[in-house]
Amino acid sequence: MNVGTIDAGKTDVKRVMRDYFTDLGEAAKDPARKVAWCTSVGPAEILRAMGFAVYFPENHGALLGATRVSADTIPVANAQGYSPEICSYLTSDIGACLKGVTPLTKAYGLDSVPRPDVLVYCTNQCKDVMHWFAWYARKWNVPLIGIHPPNHLPQVLPEHVADVAAQYRRMIGQLETITGAPLDPEALRLAVARSREATDLWEAVLNTARARPAPLSFFDGAIAMGPIVVLRGTQIATDYYRALLAELQAKVIAGQAAVPGERLRVYWEGMPVWGRLRQLSDVFANNRAAVVASTYCNSWIFTDFDAEQPLESMARAYLSIFINRDDAFKEAYIERLAAEFGIDGVVYHAARTCPNNSNSSYNLPQRLAAKGIPGIVVDGDLCDLRCFSDEQSTTLIEAFLETL
Amino acid sequence: MSIVADTDRPDTDTAVRTEVFWGVDCGSAEIKVAAIDREGRLLTTRRGRTLFPLVEHVHRSLAGLGDELSPIIDGDRAKLPADGRPPKLRPGHKVFATGYGRHHIDFVQGQLTEIKAHYLGVQQQLQLQQDYTIIDIGGQDAKVIRATPSRVEQFAINRKCAAGTGAYIEELAHRLEVPMQDLPRLAAAHDKELTLNSYCTVFSGQEVIKLLMQGERVENLIHALYRSVVKRVLEMTAIDTDTLVFSGGVMSHHDVLMPLFAERFDAVRTLLAPNAQFCGALGAAIHGMNEESDDGLPNHQ
Repeated sequence: MNVGTIDAGKTDVKRVMRDYFTDLGEAAKDPARKVAWCTSVGPAEILRAMGFAVYFPENHGALLGATRVSADTIPVANAQGYSPEICSYLTSDIGACLKGVTPLTKAYGLDSVPRPDVLVYCTNQCKDVMHWFAWYARKWNVPLIGIHPPNHLPQVLPEHVADVAAQYRRMIGQLETITGAPLDPEALRLAVARSREATDLWEAVLNTARARPAPLSFFDGAIAMGPIVVLRGTQIATDYYRALLAELQAKVIAGQAAVPGERLRVYWEGMPVWGRLRQLSDVFANNRAAVVASTYCNSWIFTDFDAEQPLESMARAYLSIFINRDDAFKEAYIERLAAEFGIDGVVYHAARTCPNNSNSSYNLPQRLAAKGIPGIVVDGDLCDLRCFSDEQSTTLIEAFLETL
Repeated sequence: MSIVADTDRPDTDTAVRTEVFWGVDCGSAEIKVAAIDREGRLLTTRRGRTLFPLVEHVHRSLAGLGDELSPIIDGDRAKLPADGRPPKLRPGHKVFATGYGRHHIDFVQGQLTEIKAHYLGVQQQLQLQQDYTIIDIGGQDAKVIRATPSRVEQFAINRKCAAGTGAYIEELAHRLEVPMQDLPRLAAAHDKELTLNSYCTVFSGQEVIKLLMQGERVENLIHALYRSVVKRVLEMTAIDTDTLVFSGGVMSHHDVLMPLFAERFDAVRTLLAPNAQFCGALGAAIHGMNEESDDGLPNHQ
């Protein structure tokens, strides 16, 4: 059993996340502080540099899924006209707001999600975030700022970067009217530098799984990634990943395995099934298969961040993410990681409500299989367990592992 | 693979050479049992309904009646031990499980998926020397398995609802108020090609009702139902072998399906696996046999 096996102490992700949410709760109550909501791969560094406490609704969606509260909240949003076929982070979260519930209460003592002073989204992942944030903008009459980058790019070209950087500049002007103060360029450089450092460390953390046996699995990573999502641009994230990296490097030296008796090495493509992390981790572990790499955890590696060109490098970094690329890029990406991590096979999670982060619908598994990288498609969802069958998923995964 | 047998018990002592390997296939509709000897010869098969508690009904299927061959010692045959311990197995007998209930039986020596089990059951019986495709239609799923003489190469399981499975046929037979066993005969009397479109069993039922209201003959609807099953299965994955082998209970009860599959290909050889309904159980037994080397000790991969 691997979930939560990352050592406590300095690398205690629960403590880091608790501190983060405690601060958010305090910021929401402090008239002197401003809260910004931001999409998970949105321009958090700008918001941090301008002094906002930054909250990420997708993280809340994941929490709703992991705690399976979403089973009660998704139908509430469905009944309001938000289809069961759209993002279940959105429906989980809006339903939770309508019901007046949040797992943050039990986990961190927050009465509710922190009320925003501004909502900032970026459609580099999907358009659902736009509809999601627009609901809150209407509900609370809060300013809504959208970054609309070019999507599904074969290559990130200078004109794409210039487009997004210009949108950032316009956004900064809007944000300055909310904060009442100009953006401090030095603060932005510092935030970008910290993000770069944290993301480099996160990449190194994930790369420890190249070792045989791997010291961490995708299921560990899905827990450990919290700070790189919500604390980018802070020293806290950097410190956390530096300590975690040291811990994992020691495990590599000691030959300590995330999955004892590791026999097979698997790549997880697509979103986690948040409500079934533990069960899926067990299915793989019982078959001595380690999920050593994933698109999802790798999606918070931003090697383009450059403090000397903060806006342009942010634009490039957030344009370059896997989900915003074309299929040829994705194919080459998985092929490269399969080689680097010694992957025996790929499990593609076809998330019913997240087609943008599901990559099994356009023949990609077949193309990679033709290159000697076999795969299996498992139907499911990030939060909506109505779309997931435990029995069928277990049989699919076990049968796939039997063929490897 | 988790091995859950109590190896301390003298009657499952690994020092005793296994003479009979049992496979139990815990499917959604039926529990199928098969036993083989050390040479892989089929000794017996039997089946019972899948009812709950599952372990009780698996025990009943394995226990058999009267003089039937059974892996369970006489003292534990009539019912599961009252003290909650697993039933004891006869010396020289081992049991392996497959099917959706495979992880819920606490007195087996190992488990494997239905995919591998059906492959082993088919290959053991047919000894095919070329690549082939197994189509197995079960109670709640349909499987397409691409195989070589030595291994499962790839596979697919139905993803959309129950369409293309036994549950789909059962539901529509219920809608049409036709006994299941009469379906093939009635389908043969069709005089028109109709199409049922939906993935969804419930929506297909609605299509059937609409067509009935329009005055369509039941025979034509049943034929359309079978054609729909074929379509749902063939859209799961591309088939590129020239041999199709059918296994599973649905195929053995609905012989009309084989020619409907065959007519979708230019030139294909179709075979119904011997003991089609028991291929999974047989495969589980073969898996058990393969796991053990000649000296009676477990083979570890």
